Amino acid sequence: MLSDYAIIGGGVVGLSVAWGLLRRGRSVTVLDGGDGSFRASRGNFGLVWVQSKGMNQPRYARWSQQSAAAWGDFAAELGEATGRDLGLEQKGGYDLHFSEETLQQTVEKYETLKAKLGGDYPFEVLGHNALRKEEPHIGPKVVGAILHHQDGHANPLRLLLALADDVRRRGGRVITGQTVTDVEKRDGAFRVACADGATVEAGKVVLSAGLGAMELGPKLGFKAPIRAQRGQVMITEKLPRFINRPSLIARQVDEGGVQIGATNEEVGLDDSVTQPGLSGLAAEAVAAYPVLGRAQLVRSWGALRVMSPDGLPIYQESVTTPGAYLVTCHSGITLAAVHGHILPSWLEGAGDAPDLEVFSEDRFAVS
Amino acid sequence: MQADLVVIGAGPAGMAAAATATEAGLSVVILDEQARAGGQIYRDVTRSAARRGDILGQDYSAGLPLAAGLEQPSITHVTRATVWQIAPDGAVAYSVDGRGAIVHGRRVLLATGALERPMPVPGWTLPGVMTAGAGQILIKESGVVAGRAVLAGSGPLLYLIAAQMVRAGTPPLALVETQSRRDTVAALRHLGGALRGWRYLVKGLSMLAEIRRAGVPRYTAASDIAVAGTDRAEALSFVAGGKRHRIACETVFLHHGVVPNMQAARSLDIPHRWNAAQACFVPETDPWGRTEIPNVFIAGDGAGIGGAKAAEQAGRLAALEAARDLDRISADARDRAAAPVRAALRGELAVRPFLDRAYPPYAAALQPADATVVCRCEEVTAGDIRGYAALGCKGPNQTKAFGRPGMGPCQGRYCGLTVVSILAAETGQGMDETGYYRVRPPLKPVTLGELAAMEETPAEDPAVMAADGR
Repeated sequence: MLSDYAIIGGGVVGLSVAWGLLRRGRSVTVLDGGDGSFRASRGNFGLVWVQSKGMNQPRYARWSQQSAAAWGDFAAELGEATGRDLGLEQKGGYDLHFSEETLQQTVEKYETLKAKLGGDYPFEVLGHNALRKEEPHIGPKVVGAILHHQDGHANPLRLLLALADDVRRRGGRVITGQTVTDVEKRDGAFRVACADGATVEAGKVVLSAGLGAMELGPKLGFKAPIRAQRGQVMITEKLPRFINRPSLIARQVDEGGVQIGATNEEVGLDDSVTQPGLSGLAAEAVAAYPVLGRAQLVRSWGALRVMSPDGLPIYQESVTTPGAYLVTCHSGITLAAVHGHILPSWLEGAGDAPDLEVFSEDRFAVS
Repeated sequence: MQADLVVIGAGPAGMAAAATATEAGLSVVILDEQARAGGQIYRDVTRSAARRGDILGQDYSAGLPLAAGLEQPSITHVTRATVWQIAPDGAVAYSVDGRGAIVHGRRVLLATGALERPMPVPGWTLPGVMTAGAGQILIKESGVVAGRAVLAGSGPLLYLIAAQMVRAGTPPLALVETQSRRDTVAALRHLGGALRGWRYLVKGLSMLAEIRRAGVPRYTAASDIAVAGTDRAEALSFVAGGKRHRIACETVFLHHGVVPNMQAARSLDIPHRWNAAQACFVPETDPWGRTEIPNVFIAGDGAGIGGAKAAEQAGRLAALEAARDLDRISADARDRAAAPVRAALRGELAVRPFLDRAYPPYAAALQPADATVVCRCEEVTAGDIRGYAALGCKGPNQTKAFGRPGMGPCQGRYCGLTVVSILAAETGQGMDETGYYRVRPPLKPVTLGELAAMEETPAEDPAVMAADGR
């Protein structure tokens, strides 16, 4: 059976793209890994986030803003189709600071970016007292925060579930438990081979396999210069609502637990959890919200970010094998809405395709 | 704190290992959740054997010498210690009274024993329903015996608790067993081993006689078991002898065997394999209990169900090998000391194949009906799991992400086997292929305050950078 597209990777990125293509009337087959695969989609922090992104590349800031703006419709459409609430809340988010100096430095960077964005970067600086009015449980060590009004958060696991559900509902073929071993193009069609002998044929191929692209990318002519970066994350027991807005340190999820994150560790493909890692996260979270000191930790996990050298997404059509596309990023939740709503037109080469030139692999030296 | 051997769990395996290790010259730290040594089987033995030994029986009092063996200067017995993280390098993090600490063991022995196999039948989450083991804890610790109780399920522990209830003057209203005559006949194939372990058979038969003399009605080959009740358990309903029965009661004790408590071993990614005879996952160990992580050992029921006496011997073997490993005794000395221990272990295990075959788990609780809750923490039903399988989930970590089973405070202890069984049946994969939860710290809940208080400048670990969330 020949699909219009074979999507390699059934995480949030691959499923968002598959969903968007189905919405445009294309046929897709998604190949997904097994229960134990590295899955950023299962371990991420769940922010729909704009601030701090694209400090050196305003196009990335714009792309994130565009997605954050599209998230409401995206969540509503998926929610309606599947009956699942994606827990989206977009009433701003904080970058909390424990020193005036770092707060000031960050504000200066934001001002520079804001100018490059023609003023569309709605943030405000809250001193400790102003912040305390918004967040009564904030600790005395927090000197202030940057409140960015385009920030928010969602339930990333329900997003994953809703996408898995709606892609099937829309007629997408999803084959799980697969390890893709090879991709080749012959007579204008791609043939994707799996370890168990299964093959899928498609007119185009999207490689959205997260860290799996490190190995598969070069076979399709991509540089795929990505690496794993570990983030340890933890979550408390369910608590009555006491955190109003999310921050990079803590957010209270729709089920009630407070999710705390995340470390940034360059440890390769090691997704384990360490006591120093957890203790460091706990200390920072308790400094931010002292009441958390009494909360029980119920779960922790390590997940591997899919990082490019500059942290930006990579959208690239293969030069050697046209029709093969690399789609990878470490902000699959934030960017899910543009991946579902806008990226398909770029894959289709449609007239309204966005200009994604700055996200191409041209920016990387030959590896 | 440091020790040659850190033992986690002060049940029979842990207590015997600690004593053997210290005899061989090792320093030992033994961490246990309870206030006194004994584990589940000898829970509170140092206090209760004297007071309630007549009810609990001679086997219970056998724990006394083991507990006494911990009273040695080179053994540090940390009571009320909750272990919440074990690192592969032997760093064991635990909390006592809300304070976290770490003990580094040159060798670590996991002696965390068994859990009762969850028995999800309709109504099992109602108040008034508990495991038979929980009923026993009440007797051992407080001398409380539930009145108007029905026992349901299968296995020798059901007889033991029934007999103990009889002796306490509060016999159960009924003993409802799920094993069938077919199981008994099939078990006879293993009669040779059973006869070698004849003491267990005699004990079982005498308990049954005790139960019969007390006039406790007994049903076998029961099926379609459900607990009836609106706000709490009001009756146990089941089919036996081609007839539906309904026994009004206030308490239902469910039990259909015990399985290794895998949490500690799984948290270290120690490989496990499915043991079809015992219908549980068992960690892979060598004959000394050594795991794939060379400094980590497992002994006792946590390495496969063998019972208290077998656990004791397995604990000794692991301690001997740890002592050899740390050059305190020679390989010859180890083998000399191990020979009688192995012989005793073989004797204790001889009856197992017979018991495993005679008392299989209740089949309907391994594949519960759609409406039955399987994950109590997050209230996920068997039907939900089947729905996630239809969405492509091949293993329990995917269903956990989709529907939260295993995300609650019990860390998946009570739903893991059920979820994996359901998925295996839905996908047609085997149990090993389906896999198990990726168990992560904390093994038991710990407060953020305790964790935060343990923060040090991690100078020795450059990999851990500032946790600044970016």
